[in-house]
Amino acid sequence: MILTGEVLQATLEHLLLAYAALAAGILVAAPLIFFSLYSAKLASLIMKFSNLVQAIPSFAVVALVVPLIGIGFTPAVIAIMLRVLLPIIKNTYIGLFNVDPALIESSKGIGLSEFQIIRHVRLPNAYPAIFAGIKFAAILANSIAVLTALIGGGGLGSIIFEGLTNFNTTKVLAGTLPVIGIALFLDFSFSRIEHWLTPEYLQK
Amino acid sequence: MRVWTSQLLTLRTLEHLYMLFVALFFSILLGVLIGVLTYKNRKLAASVLNSLNVVETIPDVALLVLLLPIFGIGVGPTIVASILYSILPIARNTYTGLSNVPREYIEIADALGLTQREVLFKVRFPLSLPLIAGGIRIAVVFTMGVVTLGGLIAAGGLGAALQNGIQLYDMGTILITGAWVGLIAVILDGIAGMIENIFKARYGK
Repeated sequence: MILTGEVLQATLEHLLLAYAALAAGILVAAPLIFFSLYSAKLASLIMKFSNLVQAIPSFAVVALVVPLIGIGFTPAVIAIMLRVLLPIIKNTYIGLFNVDPALIESSKGIGLSEFQIIRHVRLPNAYPAIFAGIKFAAILANSIAVLTALIGGGGLGSIIFEGLTNFNTTKVLAGTLPVIGIALFLDFSFSRIEHWLTPEYLQK
Repeated sequence: MRVWTSQLLTLRTLEHLYMLFVALFFSILLGVLIGVLTYKNRKLAASVLNSLNVVETIPDVALLVLLLPIFGIGVGPTIVASILYSILPIARNTYTGLSNVPREYIEIADALGLTQREVLFKVRFPLSLPLIAGGIRIAVVFTMGVVTLGGLIAAGGLGAALQNGIQLYDMGTILITGAWVGLIAVILDGIAGMIENIFKARYGK
């Protein structure tokens, strides 16, 4: 029962780690997306690069952060952020550019400026895709936050790995179950919010 | 060079690729099978695909750890976890591909007097190959990720070398192994992408 306090603290640490990284990811993604709206060249470059990096295993990304940045909480946040950046950018991009061309043409026809088209046509149409990207990123952040315990990020991962090295099943489960709980909760709650945010005319 | 020999990277790479291909083989087999079965039985489709979706949200380390009591440590749970993750993209794409064949093709096939089974295997299935290949490409990336994690539960592979590097705080090992893993991943993804494009060119998008 001494474990309860430890698990609770680790869970808080875990959430802080994952969501600091997710927030950082969204903050970095926003300007990149904004600039790529105005430059098709930059956009295709970012997409190509994202696809390439997405193929690299998370463990390799987490490990490579050690020689390049170091160990501890901040490197862990950076490792997770690098990983969640891609789904956010990719989905937003897909959402913004897969708008019915007829819709864009008619917006131009009624005299909307480029900015107004982005603000009032492209963005609302992209909401579902952007949200799906953030949901995926949130679940990914939770999963990689477990791994970053290896490079001193703390959180529930450190309980799991401690249990693994000592063959302590109780400890392993005490770390694993909250992680899975968080993942399922995220999936469920984001699906609800997604439904709620989607404009009515886009709902199936 | 020092890192390459001291960390047995040739052996680790072979272990890595062995796990990868065994896992992929079963993922493709099971994924396509589940895709076809869910297509044939629509009532089953939603529940099967949803439960696979739940598996997908479980963090990979947690899934690996949960499989330890059942499959022991090492290669077994690593391959099983890879398969569990990789079935969904393949099954979902197979299902979507089979369900979304344009009506005209089916009507022509019916007019020619093809049986239901022939329509499925000679019309629907070939036309879904580009999507199925797309699913397999995603599965390659997933499997590569999980197999690398296998190093943490004594499955060997390049993940083991990465873990050694982290534990010994040996920058050379981490940099070289990390870059090598990344390179293999990018190459495999590229090959899978090429195969996908070949099918796209052959059977339309």
